[in-house]
Amino acid sequence: MKASDKIQYDRYLKGEKLPHFKTLSGIEMKEFYNREDSPQDPPDPGIFPFTRGIYRDMYRGRLWTRRQQSGFGTPEESNHRIHFLLNKGMTGLNIDFDIATKLGLDPDHPLAEGDVGLQGTSLATLEDMDTLFRGIPLDRVSTTLIVNPPYSAVIMAMYLLVAQRQRVEPSQLIGTIMNCAVTQLVGPTYQSGTHFFPLDPAIKIASDVMEHCIHHMPRWNIININSRNIRETGVDAVQEVAFVFSLALEYVRSLLARGMDIDAFAPRMGFFATVHIDFLEEIAKLRAMRRIWAHLMKDTFGAKNPRSCWLRVAIQTSSLPLTAQQPLNNIARAAIQTLAAVLGGSQSVHTTSYDEGYALPTEESHVLAIRTQQMIAYETGVCRTADPLGGSYVIEKLTDEIEERVLALMEVIEKKGGFLECFKSQWIENQINEARYEYARQLESGELVQIGVNLEREEDEAVQINIFRQESDMQEKRIRYIKQYKGSRNGDKVKRVLEKLYRQVKEDPDGNLLPTLIETVDEKATLGEISDTLREAYGFKVHYI
Amino acid sequence: MRGKKRVLIGKIGLDGHDNGIRIVSKWLADAGFEVVYLGLYNTPEGIVKAVVQENADLIGCSFLGGEHLFYCRKILHLLRQNGLEDKKLIVGGVIPPDDVQTLKEMGVSAVFTPGTMRDAIIQKVSELVEA
Repeated sequence: MKASDKIQYDRYLKGEKLPHFKTLSGIEMKEFYNREDSPQDPPDPGIFPFTRGIYRDMYRGRLWTRRQQSGFGTPEESNHRIHFLLNKGMTGLNIDFDIATKLGLDPDHPLAEGDVGLQGTSLATLEDMDTLFRGIPLDRVSTTLIVNPPYSAVIMAMYLLVAQRQRVEPSQLIGTIMNCAVTQLVGPTYQSGTHFFPLDPAIKIASDVMEHCIHHMPRWNIININSRNIRETGVDAVQEVAFVFSLALEYVRSLLARGMDIDAFAPRMGFFATVHIDFLEEIAKLRAMRRIWAHLMKDTFGAKNPRSCWLRVAIQTSSLPLTAQQPLNNIARAAIQTLAAVLGGSQSVHTTSYDEGYALPTEESHVLAIRTQQMIAYETGVCRTADPLGGSYVIEKLTDEIEERVLALMEVIEKKGGFLECFKSQWIENQINEARYEYARQLESGELVQIGVNLEREEDEAVQINIFRQESDMQEKRIRYIKQYKGSRNGDKVKRVLEKLYRQVKEDPDGNLLPTLIETVDEKATLGEISDTLREAYGFKVHYI
Repeated sequence: MRGKKRVLIGKIGLDGHDNGIRIVSKWLADAGFEVVYLGLYNTPEGIVKAVVQENADLIGCSFLGGEHLFYCRKILHLLRQNGLEDKKLIVGGVIPPDDVQTLKEMGVSAVFTPGTMRDAIIQKVSELVEA
């Protein structure tokens, strides 16, 4: 067949059409929208319920934080990449740890050896934390620590000690600990949330971290509830928001149950969401999220401080629409997603790199992500006025529709006993599975179009992009390091302090573990040892063959 | 003779990305294979043990964090050590192009990277279990 035989002249002659007019959440869009769809204008930006943004001046006052996730290999390598990115225009840190760290396993644990340093930086000791932040002034750059409880408590303890070595007071620290027990691991499946630590103690320890931060770190955000990892399974925007808000209510109630005031902690809770490629719907989603949250805080929990009603959201653009096929196409996609995040009024953005379908970002693709954000900020003009799409008939109508659907789904979850109950009964997981099968079905059928995958696919495509490579001896190095570390410290002191931790869990189960954890880390106990001690104290064992 | 061909599917190591592997499991089950899904956090030793217990014809794993070479080498070694060379190993996930070649040279029967369509996977798996 000649190449010219493949030309589809009908596209022009018959007119090229979309397969349908539904959003990713299944909202059927109308031919056009007018005043009847949006009879009332929303209040101005900075005014309750903050649909148009939490600040009156939005990006005129300050741009969003360019916060690219980074972390791989050894803490030295990650420190090098962090410095590189800050030099290239990144304005906030977003530190990712490898899965072994996020599951409380040292690099020399038999289950960890193949995964050490791959999906984030390997980190197990106070010394590692010191290396990771070498040369980074912790009072001048805000840091997000991507880690879940109970390990978040250990990481927080290490971070506080590193700050102390830098002579930075806890009150001067700026940043966020993710600290969510359910959503940090991809999925989030029931298995991933319970295989390495029991769920209820993990949530208790998350609350310990939050309480400690509230009392000692007034500029620090105590939790960042992650809807992105839920969304990346293929659930839709409505499910993303309803699931994460239902979960957030559980955390709010657990802090209220400790006798804390809503206005003491609500201003310090944050969300981590994603932006898929359905441009209008994603913008509307972020606006709807702000409105729903503001009402929940004020109407349901009686918040009086307007800041308690602010939904602050960090975005990582979704990887789902990115393709391994024709990877350069992802540069355009990520730019569109980033634009939606900005038009939706986000507080920080990680633009996902075009090489996502192959490996972690290279220096080159990492910088391109930062540049993409800078082009949107400085060249496109969209930041010159707050919420430029506010009052658009379709945006306001979609915002209303998403709000309505989210509230209805939250009601369903509430009637089933709340998010945690639904998570434990695996109702959430069943919803996720149905959604991911449906997403795949739509891709197969062509209802969902992905350029390069089910449209304009090129068989035998030779991909020629630079792909990130780990150092070949990185894992061995880390395993050697941790063994040496354990051999070179005062073992008796470590033993004593771990026993103290164990006793505290047993004898004072409601007490806050942070002070003891700080002591434990300071005596050079490793993340894995501390995690094992906690597991034992809670009567839990990790099972594997 | 057993009717349905039996496919053992599981995640090895600590990576929790299970979107693709769940979808592929469903596709294979819908296509008439008997699918045993082992979930997350399996070890190479555990998978090889399960192959014997379940009398599976083929193993499917996915890797999205760069751990594919490490674990595939281990699984293939254990299969050989236990006289199970006839059991095929297929792999899906985020695999750089150079490594696709390396995996195949190592003895992995098929590698499916993101965007592989359903029919291509079903056809390849059918060929492998019939062979």
